[in-house]
Amino acid sequence: MEADKWASFSEETSDSEGYGEDPDDDDHCCAYASTDIPKLQFRKDISRSRWLDPLGMAEVVERKGGLWTTTGIVRNGKIYCFIEEILYLAEIGALRLLSKDDTPLSLEHVYNKVGEGKSGCSLEYYEAYKHLKSLGYIVRRHGIPWSVRRSKVNCFVNQDTPEPAQSGDEESRNSVLISEMINNMQIGGLRLAFDVYPPNSRFRKSAPGDPCFVLCLASEYPPSKEEIEDLERHSHGIPLKFCLVEHGRLNFFSFNKVELPILP
Amino acid sequence: MGSRWKGKGAEVKALADPISEIISQLQSSLISSNSKGLLSGTGVLLKADAELTDLLNRACFGRPRVTSEKNEQWFQLSTEEAFYLQYSLNCIKIVDHDDTELNSDELWKHMISRRENFPILFKAFSHLRSKNWVVRSGSQYGVDFVAYRHHPALVHSQYAVLVLSAQDGNANGRLKVWSDFHCTLRLCGSVAKTLLILNIEEQQSCATSPSCLDNYVVEERTITRWSPEQVKINSYLILY
Repeated sequence: MEADKWASFSEETSDSEGYGEDPDDDDHCCAYASTDIPKLQFRKDISRSRWLDPLGMAEVVERKGGLWTTTGIVRNGKIYCFIEEILYLAEIGALRLLSKDDTPLSLEHVYNKVGEGKSGCSLEYYEAYKHLKSLGYIVRRHGIPWSVRRSKVNCFVNQDTPEPAQSGDEESRNSVLISEMINNMQIGGLRLAFDVYPPNSRFRKSAPGDPCFVLCLASEYPPSKEEIEDLERHSHGIPLKFCLVEHGRLNFFSFNKVELPILP
Repeated sequence: MGSRWKGKGAEVKALADPISEIISQLQSSLISSNSKGLLSGTGVLLKADAELTDLLNRACFGRPRVTSEKNEQWFQLSTEEAFYLQYSLNCIKIVDHDDTELNSDELWKHMISRRENFPILFKAFSHLRSKNWVVRSGSQYGVDFVAYRHHPALVHSQYAVLVLSAQDGNANGRLKVWSDFHCTLRLCGSVAKTLLILNIEEQQSCATSPSCLDNYVVEERTITRWSPEQVKINSYLILY
């Protein structure tokens, strides 16, 4: 199954930074016959989640397999996932999304939700997420804590919204989640999209450590000096990378401030 | 990408012969020989005796002109090189075809009239040269400059340098669209250079005198492509 996953991505991996060799990356990326399109293996362990429309997120109602150690945010003992997480798991067949009244929703429904753009996730945004996830990176929306202990819940609520009760009722959970979404709004035309952690089989949401970089989704034009500086101020010392998604092809760039040494 | 020295012993040789030392010898030699550069278009021609020829070669300033003349050697300096020797190191005079000397303000205006973005290019050049990097034209690689740790005979250039400036609406027009990014990085990768951006922040207009150069701020940034597939994963494992 892992091999399959690699195969389906090999088309995008070929742009080596190395010099000298120049792999002809575009020759093998298109299927001629429809049978050439790789398919992922069918899974036995299928988790289930229920869509919560006002949040634009889903609550996991049945967890199966180990994938939940690195997917979804934990609030009051429950796991919620964002649309990109739902779509990723739905595409690989590890998650079934249910509507409010527990009818299963098709992949088409999930694509539509991404298309609506109401859940803070565009297709480009999803492409970046999927690419890194497929390679084993641990990815979460920028600035949203993996887990919040019950006693700390209040800290994450926007100052302007009324304080939720400690009881953890539906209402308060919703306001917590919604205020987190607001914190994740974009800066200028650009947006700090994801916190990315290196592949780590011992990853724990309760002690995630610092991400290795914050991924910013590039816009139509390369970022200006001012935009880069602005984003750097908001990433709290974590290195930034930009992801450019063009025609389903991903490119990652670093713009690192350096200081050339004074030579002897 | 680190330094790529040319063969065994090159690094040791470079360490024993620091560029800063060569430049200061060049400076005193030019002063004592009362050197005059002849302004010709955007270039400057400089006559050199044997000692000066050796120093110009070792400091990597100008290009020796190949002539049949046995007793004298001429060097052709770029605009940045000539202005650096005249204005920054204060060790040559520049004259025009009438043998009239041009002071640095006059030369400055002349250079700008020939090339509008001379101020930021010169700032970038002098910024790197004053840190003892060897700076040559980058036109072979489609950039403004290339920067070497030492003489090009000993080391490959490490940086491909593009000079950008916010004020002039990004005067040289580079890296405004993603396709130019791809193009530039692809090329830099294939010639094993790191793309270095020098962002020049002009504090005031420099049209009449180079004195405002001191107030220019230079920010150095490298742009690199990152390949998520190439990360060294201790236990490559997709959990699900």
